[in-house]
Amino acid sequence: MSRVIRPGFLTLLGLIWLAPVYLLVANASKPAELYDPARVWAPLPDFALVDNMRDAWQKAQLGDSIPSSLLYSTIAPLTAVVLGAAIGFAIVALRLRHGFLWFVFTFGSTIFPLQMILMPLFIGYANTGLYDTRTGMYLVYTAISVPFAAFLMRNFFTGVSYSVFEAAVIDGASTWRIFWRIYLPLAKSALSAIFILQATFIWNDLLLGLTLSQSDDVRPIMPALTSLQSTYGGSALPTVLAGGLLVSLPTVALFLATQRLFARGLTLGQS
Amino acid sequence: MSGSLGTATTVRPPGSDSDLGERSAAQQRTKTPYEWPARAFSLPAVLLVALLLYLPFVWTTYISFTDYNGLGSPVWVGLSNYRDMVSDSVFLTAVGNTLLWVVGSITLPVALGLLIAVLTYGRRFGTLIRLPFLIPYAVSGVAVGVIWGFVLQTQGALGQVLEFLNLPGASTRWLLEGPLNTFIMIGAASWQIVGVNALLFVIGLQSIPREPVEAARLDGATGWTMFRCIVWPQMRALTTVVIGLSIVASLKTFDIVWIMTQGGPGRVSETLALTMYRETFVLSDYGQGAAIAVFLSVVTFAASIIYLRRQLSGRATS
Repeated sequence: MSRVIRPGFLTLLGLIWLAPVYLLVANASKPAELYDPARVWAPLPDFALVDNMRDAWQKAQLGDSIPSSLLYSTIAPLTAVVLGAAIGFAIVALRLRHGFLWFVFTFGSTIFPLQMILMPLFIGYANTGLYDTRTGMYLVYTAISVPFAAFLMRNFFTGVSYSVFEAAVIDGASTWRIFWRIYLPLAKSALSAIFILQATFIWNDLLLGLTLSQSDDVRPIMPALTSLQSTYGGSALPTVLAGGLLVSLPTVALFLATQRLFARGLTLGQS
Repeated sequence: MSGSLGTATTVRPPGSDSDLGERSAAQQRTKTPYEWPARAFSLPAVLLVALLLYLPFVWTTYISFTDYNGLGSPVWVGLSNYRDMVSDSVFLTAVGNTLLWVVGSITLPVALGLLIAVLTYGRRFGTLIRLPFLIPYAVSGVAVGVIWGFVLQTQGALGQVLEFLNLPGASTRWLLEGPLNTFIMIGAASWQIVGVNALLFVIGLQSIPREPVEAARLDGATGWTMFRCIVWPQMRALTTVVIGLSIVASLKTFDIVWIMTQGGPGRVSETLALTMYRETFVLSDYGQGAAIAVFLSVVTFAASIIYLRRQLSGRATS
């Protein structure tokens, strides 16, 4: 009996989950002029996905935003992961005094709703010349990613035997060298898991980008994309959908390619 | 900060409590030779968080006691923003909606995630079967909002399916009536997050030791009994973390509502985060927006403490 129910249930659920994805792809592929809101389920023989993507690319000026977004979502999580590992290393291996309190201080900042810090950041950025600069965006994305990285890396390093550290000290290695040469390489899979999660988060960010940037070459990709929905008259729905699909491709690919690594990294992070 | 004690409970990973206590006690007794390198290693992270997250938080708290429209300087008005806040009917609606989001997010996505994890774990093609549930998480929020807006518009994709199947409700106005639109959006949000919950639960299942499972199997335990007596107790710690994260995230719900209904129609589907955003950035009443922000932070904080206290003490007695 359960031989039928279990696969049947999973298949049904999976189909429901895939239905919106199907709608996204099918309607993003329809030529804008043939799109009919009353027949969204029926696919059309004309395949215009690439044209629609090109259209979205031009209208939303994605060409200007993609380099910025790529920059933010690689360098910021990379910095955050290293900084998070550094504080984790200081607390666990170097036994920083009141280390746990500093850890709580760092991780506690995730409690604040993002909207709570938007206004002061906007004003602070305007006053320090960071508003609408790549440096400003990079800094805020890094800061936002640090607490989670610190949390997982501290957890990870508590799982590493202290004798590893002691042995390295006896060999005469400096703390700097122990960090870069021993602790960071040990944590490779945990580091990549955190990196993937944070890179996805930054790539998909809308709110910080909307608030802290303006010009085409600083503004990240999501705020640029929303301009498709709102520009006077708006674009045809297939164009908007094609744009949404286009910007989701990198993160979907990253996720699918690294799913196993990701699971492994988090497992280690919890030990 | 008075709250730091509470957060300590929040972040303590299950299982490492005792070892942590010993370490920090030992740490305070003996001064290690690495105090300066330790400080240097922690400084960048602490500095960044202090400047970009804590400082704005302090500023917002101050602004909540003032009247400020972004121009000129803030005028101190004491608790008046808070008084206005609690007597505003939109605020009360937002509190109700936010509660719905919390309850919805700790039931549907967590239960479904657990179910998917248990049903696929250790089976052939398990990873493959979980893929459809994971894809939505990687799709950008903006695209998710567009798709669901399009599925749920009156006579949209969902309406067309119901009509085709001759089911009632084909012309329901899914997004135009509260609280229906909030329920519907909770469903859409679950669609996006279930796969991640399932993945986290799979990781939990992997960490269950083999011996008790084998022993129970020899004793004839299968299916539901096996799950209830052997698997579930081992998953409790992880479930605590998943539910804790869901509570914090759902209290801050913003993106999906902003993209799908913008809190409308009228303001019936606003959550607290949205009300705060609207007061601040649309109505330029910074003081009022800040008051809601502070309220929301206090609630988030209190909820995580209460929840984790109960969970941890429950674990100690059992």
